[in-house]
Amino acid sequence: MTLIENFLITGALAGAVYALLALGFTLIYGVAGVVNMAHGALFMLGAFLFFAFGPLGSFGLGVFPALVLAAIFVGITGSIVYVLTIHQIIRDMLAVLVVTIGVALLFQQVIVIVFGAVFGSAYQAVPPLLDGYQTFLGVRVPNSRLLVAVVSLSLIAIVWTFISKLKIGRAMRAVAQDREAAMLMGINTTKLYMMTMAISASLAAIAGIFIASSTTTTADPAMWLRPLVMSFAIVILGGLGSIKGTIIGAFIIGYVESAVVVFLPQESFLASAFTLAIMVVVLLVRPRGLFGRRIELE
Amino acid sequence: MHLLEVENLTKRFGGLIAVNNVNFHIDEGEIVGLIGPNGAGKTTLFHLITGIIKPDSGTVRFKGEDITGLEPHKIVNKGLARTFQVVRPFRNLPTIANVLVALRSPRGNKKIEWLKTPERKAMEMLEDVGLSEMMLEPAENLAHGDLKRLEIARALATEPELLLLDEPFGGLSPIETEYLTKSIERMHLDGHTIVIVEHKLHALMKLARRVIALHFGEKIAEGTPQEISQNKKVIEVYMGKSM
Amino acid sequence: MVANYVRRIYTNFATNIIDIPPRLLALLCFFILLVFPVTGPNVLLLYVLTYTNLIAIFAGSWDLLVGRVGQISLGHALFFGIGAYGTALLYKFYQLPMWVTIPSAIIIAVAVSILVGFPSLRVKGPYLALITMTFPLIFVSAILYFKQWTGGENGIAGLPSFFSLQFFVERGFSYSAALYMQKVSEYYMTLLLLLVSGIIIYKIANSKTGIVFVSILDDELASKASGINTTRYKLMAFAISACFASLSGAVFAHILTSIGPGGTLSVALSFLPVIMTVFGGIGTIYGAIAATFIIQILDLYILTDLVPIPMEWHPLIFIIIVIIFVIKWPRGIARFVVEDVLKELSKEREIEERGKHVWKKYKKKKQEATESAPED
Repeated sequence: MTLIENFLITGALAGAVYALLALGFTLIYGVAGVVNMAHGALFMLGAFLFFAFGPLGSFGLGVFPALVLAAIFVGITGSIVYVLTIHQIIRDMLAVLVVTIGVALLFQQVIVIVFGAVFGSAYQAVPPLLDGYQTFLGVRVPNSRLLVAVVSLSLIAIVWTFISKLKIGRAMRAVAQDREAAMLMGINTTKLYMMTMAISASLAAIAGIFIASSTTTTADPAMWLRPLVMSFAIVILGGLGSIKGTIIGAFIIGYVESAVVVFLPQESFLASAFTLAIMVVVLLVRPRGLFGRRIELE
Repeated sequence: MHLLEVENLTKRFGGLIAVNNVNFHIDEGEIVGLIGPNGAGKTTLFHLITGIIKPDSGTVRFKGEDITGLEPHKIVNKGLARTFQVVRPFRNLPTIANVLVALRSPRGNKKIEWLKTPERKAMEMLEDVGLSEMMLEPAENLAHGDLKRLEIARALATEPELLLLDEPFGGLSPIETEYLTKSIERMHLDGHTIVIVEHKLHALMKLARRVIALHFGEKIAEGTPQEISQNKKVIEVYMGKSM
Repeated sequence: MVANYVRRIYTNFATNIIDIPPRLLALLCFFILLVFPVTGPNVLLLYVLTYTNLIAIFAGSWDLLVGRVGQISLGHALFFGIGAYGTALLYKFYQLPMWVTIPSAIIIAVAVSILVGFPSLRVKGPYLALITMTFPLIFVSAILYFKQWTGGENGIAGLPSFFSLQFFVERGFSYSAALYMQKVSEYYMTLLLLLVSGIIIYKIANSKTGIVFVSILDDELASKASGINTTRYKLMAFAISACFASLSGAVFAHILTSIGPGGTLSVALSFLPVIMTVFGGIGTIYGAIAATFIIQILDLYILTDLVPIPMEWHPLIFIIIVIIFVIKWPRGIARFVVEDVLKELSKEREIEERGKHVWKKYKKKKQEATESAPED
């Protein structure tokens, strides 16, 4: 009996964080048409900066200040990366792919060098955000995971409201639908893309901090690949550019992974195998995903 | 048996009906013109016949065989070739290589006579359309008129029985138009059946023995050039009702 | 790309001052490569160049697929890995000799390429790129999962070499001299493989099949409208590419005598051909091969031995340069010479006159083009 409750709760927790992760990826694609292969690298940077700013790192800040600081820092980094690289080649999707992979590999190397020099190793433990447990339906849930899920959902709700209600959000939707028309309306697409990139990067960073602190409890310089593939799988399933699709896709994949972890704990490698399989199947059978088109709230 | 039979062909894009229940046939040895204002569905019709888009309903029969929805290359290899309204040359290849690609198709390759190399055949085809000077020139350096001719040479390289030309006179000077008219007549004499979509009505009317008129995806008239030019509905559509 | 710019400068130089066709230059480079071990025992460089010979085959195979047919593969390490693991596993479990395991590994790689290619090639551009990126990951997951058979993270060791030390020791070489002779033999073997593979790939790229490849790259719809079964040609390219990539992987396994997932299936390895072709000119084949040498020698020898820079910094330098290159000169495709065609044309007896006339005109135009300032 507890297995099913375990499955339900684990799936929800996983889905929430995955949605946060994939949301940034969808945003920058929907608004700017950019497939950002460095998304996972920004995730990774967030985790590492959180470590550096936080209680185990050199700045020794509290857990929450470290989180906020890291998120802001990565957001700015995202904008800088956009301006320096993506902006010049934004029309060429393939060039963007190649360059962003380069950026991801670059981040990996820089982290190896910097963290190796400053902390002696680029493999670090990441502290949890909270201690203690709660119990739901007979399942023990660590507070940190609970917090992470709640904050993730809140952030998603905030972003959703931002896009649907605020002027800037509507500008994003306008640009997503028709770039030229939006420009003719006086929307500064460059500034808009920079802002979207900052938001996307911050979300990725926060997701990185959340997952590193609550699930894996470590940070390593090769950790950018899994979240990238995960984001991509979710976004392909849900439909590139559709926020609704991304959220639903995240929960579907979250539950699929939980199913494997809970019911087949021996075969845990199957979790990523299933995720990849879903992605491949969707690409072949219905490439636009469940709700694909350009960025839509509906 | 008709060479080409189009039966109840329909295609919708979202809420827009591009081709609406179109019926017509083409017989061997004809030159048929296809006219209609922009958006009438002429190019879409070509796409449907040549397998680039699949129809929502209806059938296309070529030489008695149902070819509806087949892959484009399979249709070409049955003897049905087309040119594009906006030229699509292989810009990265030299001109002669453009023709060589078509000669590599199963059908094009089969029809190369014994003892002739593909290069020889390609050269001859380029001579036929007057492009032999540009043989080794990368296709992207060619002028618009030359590219139109290359487009036709490439289509002819697949030895089609039926040739669909989509606005072949587009953007041509009077001299080039003259030259192309003679080329098409020659093709016709060589035994090709030709369907031409064209806006330049004077050029088309000289060539076509029969004309089909489309409007909003429907066939509105069919007849000799004479009949069509006097058809009230056609005049209305081209001139506008307020005349 | 800078490569095109350099090539133009070179052509300018070559036609005005010295009449050296590019073929001769390639021959010259090859001669240098052939002869260099005689100049003295530089063991590091020997190791570097042996590895480079194999990576050059890998890069050339990638260039054929991506540069000539336009099918973006960001997971090419998959085939390298299948080559390496194929031969290693066949040896480990069946103790088969190398002349059986290596071809078998290649056949497996080609079969896999067609299997995964068939559904994958139906999707375009970035989707294809991403789907190919996942293939090595899937393979690595499988390797890690079945670690009792594949050795997991640690890989497989104890693979047989191509040239046994005993052979040299029996002939009077000391142990260390025999080791050196073994490495020299391996070097020449890989050089030969590179020569043969490079020529084959180049010939395919410039044959009539190669023309069709470029037509698919250029405008796949127009190619279909010309009667070409583009799916079949794409699969063909995939298979040929996989064949040579797996060859380099299989040979690599027996030269290193031990393999692991890190060296054979990494993202970095998949990205390597991208770096090579950005420097060498994508689609040229010889550009990818030449660039491989320049970069690998730079990376593993010059910046390691001569001007020592810590290894972690090397990728930074190359990646930054690649990023700058791609931004400044987004992929421009080299003009395809299509040599087969030119040869055939000149063979034609009856039109030889006309051919000479056109060829002269073409050469003259080319001359004029290189005499005026090279635009960029």
